[in-house]
Amino acid sequence: MAGGHHIAAWRHPEAYARAGVDIHHFISLTQIAERAHMDMVFFEDAAAIRERNPRLASQAARSTSFEPLSLLAALAVNTSRIGLVATASTTYNEPYGLARTFASLDQLSGGRAGWNLVTSASELEAENFVSSGLRPHAQRYARAEEFADVALALWNGVDAGAYIVDGVKGIYADPTKLHPVNHDGAHFSVHGLLDSQRSPQGRPLMVQAGASDAGMNLAARTADVVFSAAQTLAEAQAFYTEIKSRLAQFGRGPDDLKIMPGLSPIVGATVREARAKYDALQALIPDEVGVALLASYLSIKSLTDHPLDGPLPDMPPNAGIQSRQQLIIDLGRRENLSIRQLARHFAGARGHWQVIGTPSQIADEMESRFSSGGADGFNIMPPLFPGGLEDFVTLVIPELRRRGLFRIDYEGTTLRENLGLRPLTR
Amino acid sequence: MMHLGLSLSPFGHHPAAWRQPGAMRQALDFGQLAAQVQKAEEGALDFVLLGDAPARRPCVDLPPQTTPFEPTTLVAALATRVKKIGFVVTAGSAQHELYNLARRFASLDLISQGRIGWNLVASGPTISWNKEYVAVVTALWGSWDADAFVYDKSAGRFFEPNKMRVLEHRGEHFTVRGPLNVNPSSQGKPLIAQALTAETFDFVAHSTELLLVTNASQEAGRGMVIEARQLLASQGRDPAEVRSLANVVPWIGATRAEAWNRFHQINELSSQESLESRQGYDVIGTATDIADALQESFERGEFDGFTILPPIAPVDLHAFVDCVVPELRRRGLFRAHYEGAALRHHLSLKPSRRPAR
Repeated sequence: MAGGHHIAAWRHPEAYARAGVDIHHFISLTQIAERAHMDMVFFEDAAAIRERNPRLASQAARSTSFEPLSLLAALAVNTSRIGLVATASTTYNEPYGLARTFASLDQLSGGRAGWNLVTSASELEAENFVSSGLRPHAQRYARAEEFADVALALWNGVDAGAYIVDGVKGIYADPTKLHPVNHDGAHFSVHGLLDSQRSPQGRPLMVQAGASDAGMNLAARTADVVFSAAQTLAEAQAFYTEIKSRLAQFGRGPDDLKIMPGLSPIVGATVREARAKYDALQALIPDEVGVALLASYLSIKSLTDHPLDGPLPDMPPNAGIQSRQQLIIDLGRRENLSIRQLARHFAGARGHWQVIGTPSQIADEMESRFSSGGADGFNIMPPLFPGGLEDFVTLVIPELRRRGLFRIDYEGTTLRENLGLRPLTR
Repeated sequence: MMHLGLSLSPFGHHPAAWRQPGAMRQALDFGQLAAQVQKAEEGALDFVLLGDAPARRPCVDLPPQTTPFEPTTLVAALATRVKKIGFVVTAGSAQHELYNLARRFASLDLISQGRIGWNLVASGPTISWNKEYVAVVTALWGSWDADAFVYDKSAGRFFEPNKMRVLEHRGEHFTVRGPLNVNPSSQGKPLIAQALTAETFDFVAHSTELLLVTNASQEAGRGMVIEARQLLASQGRDPAEVRSLANVVPWIGATRAEAWNRFHQINELSSQESLESRQGYDVIGTATDIADALQESFERGEFDGFTILPPIAPVDLHAFVDCVVPELRRRGLFRAHYEGAALRHHLSLKPSRRPAR
């Protein structure tokens, strides 16, 4: 968010430099998305500055941001229909506090809150919390599995109408509708109840983006929505099929989980205009920043020892994000790209699928992935705010509507209803 | 000038407030809470205090300060509904990972444009743990010089790297690299408040800028402030840089008899036990009586002002803002309107900025 998803968006002449510190800017963007009846807004997150080198960090608007859960609360009471999804880590939070906060946000928004569960793969985050460094992937996921169970149990511990607040009789809650959690596990010991009413959507929406084996299993068991990064239709279909095929083993059907790949649309009235918009943004990426970002996506310290116009070096697997790493390596090999080219390519949309073209070309690409088993929807990442969002909303969404692919009005009042997910019953 | 805060409570601070005839469960809705905050802003009060009682929601009783919302996020929502009034928000050090808490409050301070204070509950295991926690939170809030963010598009420089402080903290209890990934607000850092109790007494000299005096006895509260000021001075802090506000429960009536009637009637609904756990001292009478009591107490010098705990909300809040505040203004004791935008300004505290270099 803030200035735009393109890494250099903040340098664009149209960009609002102070976007990241202006709450009214975020409220206004969310309202634009709501007027277009988009399902949700989503905030990624890192609990750290994202770059170790101060000189590189100082060139990126992403170095600082609002903390996402406080941001979500501010947005919740300034919107009425759109879903609000924010990222929070299972590695650097405790389940009671986080479950309580999301229950509260869900109450505040009338059933529109969602939690993007992450296990935090970055070393810079680890260094803000623990002396022992980044925990191994398997350990983080073992904690995340238990964390999710505790959060789900807490949300499920309060039936609808449990807190009745009958002052005349002096009864605050109906004890038959409260089911205190008694959890003693390997990572957490939680005994108690949440103090919010049951969510209007049953519980906050569960979102995930992990694409490792452990990540996909956790998603298949607990997530309602999965965000993904897929460059090609084939990659999107492979991921889609893989996640959906894992649902049955957890007693879930294919419609119980929606897959929403990231898409950065660069919209122009003509191809030439769209291309010009893209080139203007790309020209603003310093090589230094692009290459460093590429290195961080590859979870390696640096690429500066290698010639920028040569190919990627061979790399061993490590504890960081494993799936996205492979995606980058595959693209480099497939299209024979140099480090510099890959860096520019990935830095721009930060690894996400980018479509540059006219509204109908973008709608074609979306339709193709939507109708051929690659996506249930898309997480739109406009390169520049507010212009990129306005382009999408005023040019692409009407085209999607003409094709019967996108809603005219919200179906319901909760995020869960609007996503077409089955109601949760206790 | 007297300082005044409102301690927010959906039904009111009397333990039986929610059992009053006419108490509506809608009092727990966000809109009703926001309306109370707006009323306090109409009176140009310094701040609204959001208490917390996590995991205390017994079936038959309702702690007065609790709302159905988690306070450190609720406040962000409330802050968008008002423009001037500050907020002091309760959070326990044991409830939040250190970096997360520093970040949450810095973010709240940005969302509210410099109107946030942290009501610190030092709930960690030991005094040394809590002290290190607060020291590192404060250091994280100092990650950026006031002029660090330059937004220089043509040079591609979002901030000046030499104006960022990487903490590299390695202490007995915490390891925190830093910097904080949130810009500083217009007041520099959120201010730190703490309840002044026997348990917190030694800790407050360390970092607190706003002391919340919660004694049910005015005299006992006064005594604690005197001792706290001596402690501050002995530790090299200027007592004049710390505000002490006493919790006051004002029972306001058109006549004294009416005010006393209200007081007695509701006490009949309450158990002795719940009455003994009260968080402030009662003042009972007409608006003029309340203003007299506050003026007398203020002019004795120990209290810089008061946190108002309306016994029944929102009626006693309305009575206070509509009747007592104008009386205090007539006497020249309270501001007619806000003179600044930041909470530190309202409380006549200096901005806490890492200076521009």
